[in-house]
Amino acid sequence: MQKLTLKIIYSFLIRLFLKLIVGVKFDTAKFLLNEKQFIIVANHNSHLDTMTLLSSLPSKIIHKVKPVAAGDHFGKTRLKGKLTSFFVNALLIKRGRDKNNPDNDPINRMLKELDKGYSLILFPEGSRGEPEKEQALKKGIGLILSQRPDIKFVPAYMKGMGKAMPKGDSLIVPFNSSLIFGIPTKIVSENVDEIVKQIEQTFKDLKQKVV
Amino acid sequence: MNEIFHLNFFENNDLLIVISLIFGILTFATLLFYIVGKIKPNANLIELKARTKSWWFMASVFILATVVNTKISYIAIAFLSFVAFRELYSQLGFRDSDRRAIFWAFISIPIQYYLAYIGWYGAFIIFIPIVMFLILPLRLVLKGNTDGIIKSMSLLQWILMLTVFGISHMAYLLSLPELNGFKSGGRGLLLFLVFLTEINDVMQFTWGKLLGKHKIIPKISPNKTWEGFVGGLISTTIIGYFLGFLTPLNDMQVVFVSFMISFSGFAGDIVISSIKRDIGIKDMGSSIPGHGGVLDRIDSLAYTAPVFFHILFYLAY
Repeated sequence: MQKLTLKIIYSFLIRLFLKLIVGVKFDTAKFLLNEKQFIIVANHNSHLDTMTLLSSLPSKIIHKVKPVAAGDHFGKTRLKGKLTSFFVNALLIKRGRDKNNPDNDPINRMLKELDKGYSLILFPEGSRGEPEKEQALKKGIGLILSQRPDIKFVPAYMKGMGKAMPKGDSLIVPFNSSLIFGIPTKIVSENVDEIVKQIEQTFKDLKQKVV
Repeated sequence: MNEIFHLNFFENNDLLIVISLIFGILTFATLLFYIVGKIKPNANLIELKARTKSWWFMASVFILATVVNTKISYIAIAFLSFVAFRELYSQLGFRDSDRRAIFWAFISIPIQYYLAYIGWYGAFIIFIPIVMFLILPLRLVLKGNTDGIIKSMSLLQWILMLTVFGISHMAYLLSLPELNGFKSGGRGLLLFLVFLTEINDVMQFTWGKLLGKHKIIPKISPNKTWEGFVGGLISTTIIGYFLGFLTPLNDMQVVFVSFMISFSGFAGDIVISSIKRDIGIKDMGSSIPGHGGVLDRIDSLAYTAPVFFHILFYLAY
């Protein structure tokens, strides 16, 4: 049921809306069909980011990919959390680590989903921040990849989304924006800081390419 | 079926002839470049091939819009305006506080096209130049950020004029009242305008490539030469004369209007070129292969549509 809903919403409705109305340029990420499991790491400027990434996934694997979102924002009420989990297929986590309760610790929860076979979409910048400005990456992505070094990360870079729908504004104003993917890559070092640096570098490279 | 498609269209020989002609030319060009490419593999045909490819696309869209229910044509042209507006404003660095006013400008697109659809000439002609001209600055002021507000006010109005007001004249052609003894109607007029504008681009390009020596404005458009410009003027005027049966005009008037289409097409082309120079980009986007963005394609139309419409309106209606 959820699988079909996700396919209709993202591979058709929202994809059409994003491409025709909002003016987001992106190709379907067919190359992801060759990967068994992956973590998409993307820059974060807008709520439209998650929508665009989900719409760019091949519809075959869309239900196997979970965007990771902050529980304090999207899980404010039980209903909101349920809706987000169903319609966005999101994994809601705490923003900070939780040493006392390992089951609730965001890193553990993400690892658990990976072990179940799901792929993840992560925004290592954390909050969306000021429109179209980059922020330093958080370490979570490094911690996860260092513990699951065989899973490839897929860098994704979006430009202009923060203009179409910036933080703190729920009005979408069409703006020509675009999304490009980098190549699925394995980490070169298991050191957390090195991993974060590697991802930062791929972001920089993609930023050069995006039009 | 009759509701959706104008099946009577196929009984209208005038339109059918022109459409066959367009596809004939395109087939010829495609074959020509294919054969030349086989004979001379070194010849640089990438640009020409890409151009032909997108002509196929443009021709199909416009002809589809003329064949199907005219209601759909209004929507198609409105969508063209919308994409061109979005493309241009996205490049021009608006402030974050302009978002509300830009949204209103977007809303004005369906309104303008609705006015064209119902054929309310008075409202159609003042809506953007007067109503939106007065409203948009007000919306900007209400946001309270005065830093750079003049730039936003003027840019927004200018983009609306260029991409919405000008282009919407194409839609109003479809709403013009019927004239006695003039069969092909608005769809014929639209076809005449679009075909002549595009053929003018092609002619200027071709004559320029064949004979071009003396550049007109090398700083803006290094490919524009006097030879191309004059060659375009003459050939477009001649072609326009033979297509005169698509309009209710007499021979002299058709020659005049074709000449003006050629001239204003050139003007629109170099105006958009200069904008791109200023922004520092080569193409506006890449919605159509080999052709940059939508705006690169309708640059001449933004000028020819209002010029053609108002000359025609004065002479025949």
